[in-house]
Amino acid sequence: MDTSYPLQALVASAREGDQGAWNAIVERFLPLVCALVRRHRLSEADGDDVSQTVWLRLVEHLDTLREPDALPGWISTTTRNECLRLLAARKRMTPVDPLDAGSLGGVEADVSGVELVALEERQALRDGLAELPAGRRELLQLLLTDPPIPYAEISERLGIPVGSIGPTRARALEQLRNTRAMRALAAASLEAEGERR
Amino acid sequence: MNDWSDDDALMAALSEAVAESEAVTDRRREAAQAAFTWRSVDAELMELLHDSALEAGAAVRGAADPGRLLSFGRGELTIELEVGAGAVTGQVLPAQDATVTLQATGVEDRTVAADGAGFFRIEEVGSGPVRFVVTTSETTLTTAWVTL
Repeated sequence: MDTSYPLQALVASAREGDQGAWNAIVERFLPLVCALVRRHRLSEADGDDVSQTVWLRLVEHLDTLREPDALPGWISTTTRNECLRLLAARKRMTPVDPLDAGSLGGVEADVSGVELVALEERQALRDGLAELPAGRRELLQLLLTDPPIPYAEISERLGIPVGSIGPTRARALEQLRNTRAMRALAAASLEAEGERR
Repeated sequence: MNDWSDDDALMAALSEAVAESEAVTDRRREAAQAAFTWRSVDAELMELLHDSALEAGAAVRGAADPGRLLSFGRGELTIELEVGAGAVTGQVLPAQDATVTLQATGVEDRTVAADGAGFFRIEEVGSGPVRFVVTTSETTLTTAWVTL
């Protein structure tokens, strides 16, 4: 199993004890966990510990997770909470600078709503990319490589004419906009906008 | 939401999204994959009831700071923990004879006996994810994982 399988299937197989399905879940959401950890400015070692705690807690939470679609939210919330708890626990171990009292308490270190939305968007983009047929996904990945790969080389690697790279890219992006992940993101965003009105 | 009807804007967003996956270290990936070996289908979980690290102003303490206080519970049984420098002391409640096992990734389990009043002490506890398994004459319960 790989990240292109629907979350429902990955969670169901992981519950049955399938390590491959678990690895695919890790592959899919570890970038989100790491991005959240980075934003909380933990040390590298503390970041490793938080990440590991999140995955250990997910292992024990797998059987009680009713709705696999709620998993990204659960991972995001759990990671933020663990970051804040560890930040607070570390602060109390170090001497307090009275001049710095305004920045204590840990809550200010949380990520903003705007950042959370951006993280969700990037998660949806990765999920959408994983949904694409392999050929389209590979083309987009090659086009995203930094430093850029010349079209001649992309053409050779994928066995498609140079002239069709542009049009294929356009079709791949259109397909990406219509993936399940990206449509779900658009729907959620419309709903959030409706609530603000 | 961003306007991703433009192909170049969508490619730029995609580039940031892919960069986040590339920032993942192999160390974290391997650790996350290995977490699955801790799966135990029938473990009965004690939920976190309290963590002093999350109290408002937790960091602003005097010299008599007791350390981080944690408690977990399920039904009648609770375990209270005080995390000091390098050691964890605690109490199983209601007070009774019990054993407490500290589990952490990459190290052997360590089991100590609680005295008749439920008190116990575990020395040389490092940082990182841990959980505690409480065994009484009647039941065995496992706490949720917590990062020390």
